[in-house]
Amino acid sequence: MVVVQRRKLTLAERLYLPEVFRGLAITFRKMFQPRVTRQYPEEGLPKTEVTRGQPRLVVKDDGNIACVSCGLCEAACPAYAITIDGQETDRFIEREPERFDIDMLRCILCGFCEEACPKDAIFMSDELELADYSRRALVYDMDKLKRPASDMRARMDYVKRINGRWGVEA
Amino acid sequence: MAFLTLLLKASLIYGGLLGTAALMTLAERKVSAWMQLRVGPNRVGPGGLLQPLADGVKFILKEEVTPDGANMWIFRLAPMLAAIPAMMTVAVVPFAGQVELFGLDFGNLSVTDLDIGLLFILALSGLSVYGVILGGWASNSKYSLLGGLRASAQMVSYELSLIMTALAVVALTGAMDLREIVAAQAGSIFNWNVFTPVVGQVGLVLFVIATFAETNRHPFDFAECEPELVGGFHTEYSSMKFALFFLGEYCAMTVMACLTTVLFLGGYQVPFWEDAPWFVQLGAFGAKVGFFLFLFIWVRWTLPRFRYDQLMNLGWKVFLPVALANLLVVGALIALGWA
Repeated sequence: MVVVQRRKLTLAERLYLPEVFRGLAITFRKMFQPRVTRQYPEEGLPKTEVTRGQPRLVVKDDGNIACVSCGLCEAACPAYAITIDGQETDRFIEREPERFDIDMLRCILCGFCEEACPKDAIFMSDELELADYSRRALVYDMDKLKRPASDMRARMDYVKRINGRWGVEA
Repeated sequence: MAFLTLLLKASLIYGGLLGTAALMTLAERKVSAWMQLRVGPNRVGPGGLLQPLADGVKFILKEEVTPDGANMWIFRLAPMLAAIPAMMTVAVVPFAGQVELFGLDFGNLSVTDLDIGLLFILALSGLSVYGVILGGWASNSKYSLLGGLRASAQMVSYELSLIMTALAVVALTGAMDLREIVAAQAGSIFNWNVFTPVVGQVGLVLFVIATFAETNRHPFDFAECEPELVGGFHTEYSSMKFALFFLGEYCAMTVMACLTTVLFLGGYQVPFWEDAPWFVQLGAFGAKVGFFLFLFIWVRWTLPRFRYDQLMNLGWKVFLPVALANLLVVGALIALGWA
C-alpha cells in the first residue's frame, strides 16, 4: 500500500485568490514575450543540406541525367513509389530511363533511393511543399523531377562527405 | 425631436454594444494567442481587425442543422431568449453625462434612465438562463441537456451572491437608478464605492467573480464545458443560431463589465476632473469597461475550469455567507453613520 503524502496547503493557497493573482501575473508577463509563430507561407521553413525533401534527378552540366535505369532505387524504395522503364542509348552509358516516375503521394522521403543510387543520379532536394488538385498530377515524371546540379550542390557535397566516412567512393 | 434623439442614441448605443461584442470575439482570440506566445488571427484586414466580419459571413453561410427529435419551436426560441435580454440590458447603462453637440442638447448619454435600472438589468440577465436551459432541453441531446441543467443551477446560485453584493452598493448610495449611483460617486476618486473601506473591495471581488459565473465564463463555464459535454447547451446549434448564443454571451459580458464599473468604479466619473466634458467621461467609462472585459479574457486563459461540486460549494458555502456579511457590515456602517 502506498500512502501519498500530500503537501499541506498554506493559508494563502487555500484562500485561492492570491494564487489566482499569481497566475494572472504569469499570463500577463507572457503577453510581452517574443512570439514563436512562424508565418509559414511567407516565412519559409528552415532548410539545410541535411533537409531530406522530395527526391530529384540531378541534371549534369552536359544536360543529361546520370541515371542508367539500373532499378536499384526502384528496388530500395520501401513505398514502391518509383517506376522505371529503361531503354538503350547511343551515349557511353548505354542505358537510360525511358520513363522515370515517382508517385509523390507514396514517397515517404526516406532517402533510400539516394543511398541506393550507384551513379549519383538521384538526390533528396530541399523541396517539401506538395499540393495539387488531382492525384494524377502528383505522380512526377522525369521532366518534373529534373533539377540542375547547381541547385543540388549542397546536398550532393553533403552526401559525398557522409559516404566518405564509410570509405565509400562517391 | 425628443423621439429622434432617442432613436439616434438607441441606435448608437446598440451599435456600440454589438461592435464591442464583435471586437471581443477578436480580442479573445488575440489575447489568448499573445498569452500563449502566438500571433493570433492576422490574415483578414490590418492585424486581423476584420476577422469578426469574416466570422460573421461564415456564420451566415453555414448550413443550419436542426437535430431529429428536437422541439422545433423551443429550439428556435432559445437563441433569441439568450441574445435579446442580454442586448436589452444595455438600455439603462449610463455612458456619460449631458451631451452637447453643435449647440444642441441631447440629454444624458444612455437610452433611458430607469428608477429601477439595477433591478432591470438583474431581472433581464436572470432571463438569459432560459435561453441556456431551453436550448439544452430542446436539442434532444444528453450533452446539451446536461450542459443546460448545470448552467441553470450555477446561474441561479451565483445570481444570489451577485444581487446581495449589488444590494450593498444600493444601500451605500441609496439609489437603484444607475445614473444616481454614478452621481453619488462624484467628486474625489475616493468617493468611488470600491474605496469604501473593506466592504468596497470585498464587494468588488465578490461581484466580479459572481459576474464570471453569471455570464458562464471561465473558470465557471459549465454550460459549455468542452472536454466533458462536447459543447454543452449549444452542442446541436449551428449557423446563426449558434452565433446568437455567442453574441448573447459577449453582450452579457459587456453589460456586466459596465455594471461593475457603474457600481464600484464610479461609472463615467473621471478621476481628478470633476466637470469633465461628456466625451472625456465616455472615454473614462470605456477604459474602465475595457479593463473588465480584458479581465474576462485574461482570467479565461489563466485558470483551469472548476469541478462542478467545487463551484456549488464555493457559491453556497463561501460566496453567499461573505456577501451576506458584506451587506450586514454595510448596514452597520450606515446605521452608525460612517458611510
